[in-house]
Amino acid sequence: MSIEAINEQLLRAIGVGVALLDRKTFSFQFHNDTFEEWFGRPESAASLTDVFTELDIDALSSALKQNGRYTAETRFKKKRRTMVIAVDFTPTTEGEQDIAVLVCQNITRIRELESMIDSYSMMVERNNREIKREKEQVEKLLLNIMPRSVYEEFKTFGVVTPQLYDPVSVLMLDFVGFTDMVASADPSVTVTELNDIYSAFDRIGEQFGCERIKTIGDAYITVAGLPDPTPDHAKAAANAAIRFIRYLERRNTSHPNQWRCRIGLATGAVVGSVVGIQKYVYDIFGPAVNLASRLQEYSEPMQISVQDEMAVVLREQFEMDNLGARSIRGFGDQDVWRLHDSNKILTAAKS
Amino acid sequence: MTDQTLFEKYGGFSKISRVVLAFYDTMLDSEEIGPFFDEVDMSKMVDHQTKFIASLLGGPASYTDNQLRQLHSHLAIQDSHFDELKVILGGTLEKHGFQPGDVEAVLQEFENRRNLVVG
Repeated sequence: MSIEAINEQLLRAIGVGVALLDRKTFSFQFHNDTFEEWFGRPESAASLTDVFTELDIDALSSALKQNGRYTAETRFKKKRRTMVIAVDFTPTTEGEQDIAVLVCQNITRIRELESMIDSYSMMVERNNREIKREKEQVEKLLLNIMPRSVYEEFKTFGVVTPQLYDPVSVLMLDFVGFTDMVASADPSVTVTELNDIYSAFDRIGEQFGCERIKTIGDAYITVAGLPDPTPDHAKAAANAAIRFIRYLERRNTSHPNQWRCRIGLATGAVVGSVVGIQKYVYDIFGPAVNLASRLQEYSEPMQISVQDEMAVVLREQFEMDNLGARSIRGFGDQDVWRLHDSNKILTAAKS
Repeated sequence: MTDQTLFEKYGGFSKISRVVLAFYDTMLDSEEIGPFFDEVDMSKMVDHQTKFIASLLGGPASYTDNQLRQLHSHLAIQDSHFDELKVILGGTLEKHGFQPGDVEAVLQEFENRRNLVVG
């Protein structure tokens, strides 16, 4: 077999569609088997547009002259399957005749794969958005139980090192007669109201830079000076305490259920940490916490008791009364002070 | 951790994509099922098969029963079509090395949805 014969055999059988066209008339001079399989046998006088009805002949002519190349894509259905063929024209000459070489490649699979990748990536991206939303929800929940800086540490290292915060001011609030309220009224109403009140406390505390640590039933604990130290922690806690009481007083005027609280304020050191593995909570420990809790018990309803050391700081800005020395369990004898709302004293003086 | 899905077990998207394409080819050639796709655009059809396989194998797609019912409501799908597709699906999975137990499980998942698409 001669080289020419082998070449022609190859050209016929190759999996690429090949055709030769006269460049003046765009009539078919030659086509191979693959071309015929895809586009049918061109009629004897058929020109390019008879086979490729959508092809822009003018664009093809000028592109061949200017760039020496023209490419396009054509689609057709072969038994319900969409075939995508890339067509590529290049000019050449054969003796006197100007010829255009048409090479057709089957890119159906590539387009199908592209469609599949599109489809898949869209699903994955949608899922990623959902995961991101869920992550934000989890983050929000965790930020409810621990300060952000602690959460960042927890996220990075998986553990939280207990940290000493010194000094901070602890506010401990407890409701008067809560147990009776739960027993006598509809418990779900009571808890709903408690939720409202705690939410209001959270907002008030936030205004003054207090971080709510936890609630245990009807006890509410918030701290100023944690996790970021602030020189005004005592003032912040005192301001929050006064507003808590103002809020309850105003609320009581328009609600059948009367909420009355006792508040204790103490300054000192606390250690903050995440406690527990599966059911973790962020909690604080230390003498300031215990002292605030004891002092709260010394308060009359709707009054605020303050530790001696803290009262020294507050005296310059707040109305305070010394209640004298009290024996405080675990802390010996200490002076206890009463914090007043100076707004109320002013109003009373005016009337 | 959560159980591994079949989608993960058989190599994730890089492997499952071959299952999808094989499934697509067989389906187009099927005289029973193919005609349903005569007028469907190629990218839509591929999208459909990708989601179909992914959802059956626990991949990133999932359809609610209502969605499936709605998506097929305009088609006159008979039990015989559903049976044919089940054969194609089982055959494709077997050819791609799915273990008999896993093929069985996928076909059961498929069967569970018969009432949503036939009718």
